[in-house]
Amino acid sequence: MGKKHKSISYAKWGYIFIIPFFVVYAVCTLVPLFSTFLYSFFDYYTTMDFRTIGPNFVGLQNYIDMFTPDRTGAIDLLNYTGNTLLMWVMGAVPQVLFALVLALIFTGIRLRIKGQGFFKTVIYMPNLIMASAFSMLFFTLFSPVGPVNQVLTQITGGDPFLFFSDIWATRSIIAFINFLMWFGNTTILLMAGIMGIDQSLFEASSIDGATSKQTFFKITLPLLIPIIVYVLVTALIGGLQMYDVPQIMTNGKGGVDMTAQTLVMQLNRMIGGVTKNYGKAGALSAYIFIVTGLLSILVFKVTGNSSGKKKAKKGGK
Amino acid sequence: MKKRILAAVLATASILGTVAGCDSTNTSSTAPTESKDNNSSTTEESKPEDGGETKEEGKVLNIYAWNEEFKGFFEKYYQGLEWEVELEDGTKEKKKFDKAPGLETLKGVTVNWIINPSDGGVYQQKLDAALQAQSGAAADDKVDFFLAEADYILKYTNSDFTMDVSTIGVTTADTQYNYTVQAASDADGKVKGVSFQCCPSALIYRRSIAKDVLGTDDPAEVQKKLGTWADFDAVAAQAKEKGYYMTASYVETFRTFSNNVSSAWVVNGELNIDKAIEDWTTQAATYLDKEYTLPDGVWGDQKNAQMFAEGKTMCFFGPAWYYNFCMGNAMDKEKGCYGDWAVTTGPQEHFWGGTWILAATGTDNPTIVADIMKAFTVNEDVCSALIENEAQFTNNSKVNEKYATDPKFGNAFLGGQNDVALFVELAKGIKFEHKTNYDQLLSEKYPEYMLDYFQKKITKDEALANFYKFVNDTYADVKTP
Repeated sequence: MGKKHKSISYAKWGYIFIIPFFVVYAVCTLVPLFSTFLYSFFDYYTTMDFRTIGPNFVGLQNYIDMFTPDRTGAIDLLNYTGNTLLMWVMGAVPQVLFALVLALIFTGIRLRIKGQGFFKTVIYMPNLIMASAFSMLFFTLFSPVGPVNQVLTQITGGDPFLFFSDIWATRSIIAFINFLMWFGNTTILLMAGIMGIDQSLFEASSIDGATSKQTFFKITLPLLIPIIVYVLVTALIGGLQMYDVPQIMTNGKGGVDMTAQTLVMQLNRMIGGVTKNYGKAGALSAYIFIVTGLLSILVFKVTGNSSGKKKAKKGGK
Repeated sequence: MKKRILAAVLATASILGTVAGCDSTNTSSTAPTESKDNNSSTTEESKPEDGGETKEEGKVLNIYAWNEEFKGFFEKYYQGLEWEVELEDGTKEKKKFDKAPGLETLKGVTVNWIINPSDGGVYQQKLDAALQAQSGAAADDKVDFFLAEADYILKYTNSDFTMDVSTIGVTTADTQYNYTVQAASDADGKVKGVSFQCCPSALIYRRSIAKDVLGTDDPAEVQKKLGTWADFDAVAAQAKEKGYYMTASYVETFRTFSNNVSSAWVVNGELNIDKAIEDWTTQAATYLDKEYTLPDGVWGDQKNAQMFAEGKTMCFFGPAWYYNFCMGNAMDKEKGCYGDWAVTTGPQEHFWGGTWILAATGTDNPTIVADIMKAFTVNEDVCSALIENEAQFTNNSKVNEKYATDPKFGNAFLGGQNDVALFVELAKGIKFEHKTNYDQLLSEKYPEYMLDYFQKKITKDEALANFYKFVNDTYADVKTP
């Protein structure tokens, strides 16, 4: 008995408790993940008459096809990657800047804003609405007979402006929706980050006579870097998976001359339609996976290094 | 010890929880049923009956459809449910169709509608998933019958998911229009379903605008001036001078051309753009360039806004179901222009859409399905009600001709014109040919991708290249140039 008591390991229970998650994760996520990679080396698709072709092993052919230029000499995949990143940057840069300003206002000791809970709820609200509902709303707002055009035609007296027949108008609306949906979320994260900074640092700086500009650039921003990196990496991963907003805005067409076609919209064309092309979609998924990984590492390296330095300094103090 | 038991219980609970969660998402994605509660209660009831010797049919009728149109007709004229009509003085009256065949056959049967929109192939996708799960599904979860449109009916009639309706006692009546039977037949000539409507498409025009532009609103006179595409183009120019649009969507005339092709969209596995489609492309480019039409889709808001009284568009194209079901703006009490419309043949005869009822293999309600098919094709009471109350053009030539020759019959929306008389003539010319499984999306997306070229954003070749990319991504087995 005594011996048994000695060998009780509570860690064991920890492992037992996480078994269910790992079992489900393996079955529902890991297996499909590996099969996706596997299928990318096969010619494997369904047809309209309910036949399934393949899987026939074709090696890297799906990847080669993906990077083969079309009749006009352009490589579509790079075009779609560019669209996705461009629309992400158009939304994410103002999103982080705007959220940073809001977070500073809400956490500012001197300002002491009343009714913070209310404002926080309001700015977070857009995130609770489904992206598709948001897109439908904006689609209606900017339609040729929508309210925006009614106001415009009243002012100019001319024909309605066709927002969705204009490359940059379409892209900007998509980016704006993404910005609107996510800036609240980012604000909350950054606020948590700012509030996590030791208050005594701010007090010390104000005693030393630091201006608010100095406080921001010398204290808040450097100590906030880890949170900003986290925000950027998660936003990037989300941004590369941009799908619902442009899909609905362009009715699945990809905008004028495919200038709003994103990577996941392309994936949806291959796998989400009346027929399924498992092979080609697998190759595209693998590509998205690699691009996401590389870009995340890049963000991490660029911003992560500086935070590492600061930490070292802080530790050395 | 207690702790250990508690831990074990918690662990199993969490496993069950996650597995159950996993499970439920699976079933909901493969076989979406809207009223699960109904199902479970009825299965329990019918279980003892299954054990009995009499061959009882299922108590749940599962129907797949892409909109509410047939559902409405079904509920009123087959199921015999009450509905409300708004009278001219604004009061509401309850109506009920006493001769509904379903009052008997549907006793104790739950009717389950599973409706998914057809845009972008969503309906086909959901239906395919349900049909592929059909053999493993419980009797009450099986699809009993489903609706299909002309654009993709071939895909289902040529598959084993539909059954020969003669095996459930439905024979083809002489009163059915030939093309509706052709469309529902498989490659070996087995008939897999019936249509409850016949869909010759007409030129629908605004009487007041026709008077202004052509000097007449009489259908026969208008037909003389719009009988060919050359005439149509000439009138479009005249209409433009007077400040009108000829059509409200650049895709408006697409069906007229695509129904008169001399080769299919896909020939020997290769994408083929027929001469008629080319002609449409040329016409649409000109019309948008000269502002005879608007850069909006057939179902777009901008087009629909043109149906109001203040709209400036002369011509629309569509069959009976179009002006009854899709021209709500024109019927609007305050902003509409009810009665200011008329129909005529137009430049080219064609048909648009049509809904076929196909029997799903494995249905547990074959008698009911057969009875429904008969009700909407040979039951003269039902067909008459469809014409009188719903302004439909039915798939029963006998009933149609009765109304066509009735001098008292007229459609108030069309200013009292007898539209059935026109459709009886047009129905004779309908051909169902050069159809493939791929038609729905190709006909939907070709105009969309060409729009970039029409709006002069890119060249025609670039627009075509974008369309080819869509085809390659969607249909891996179709080769493009």
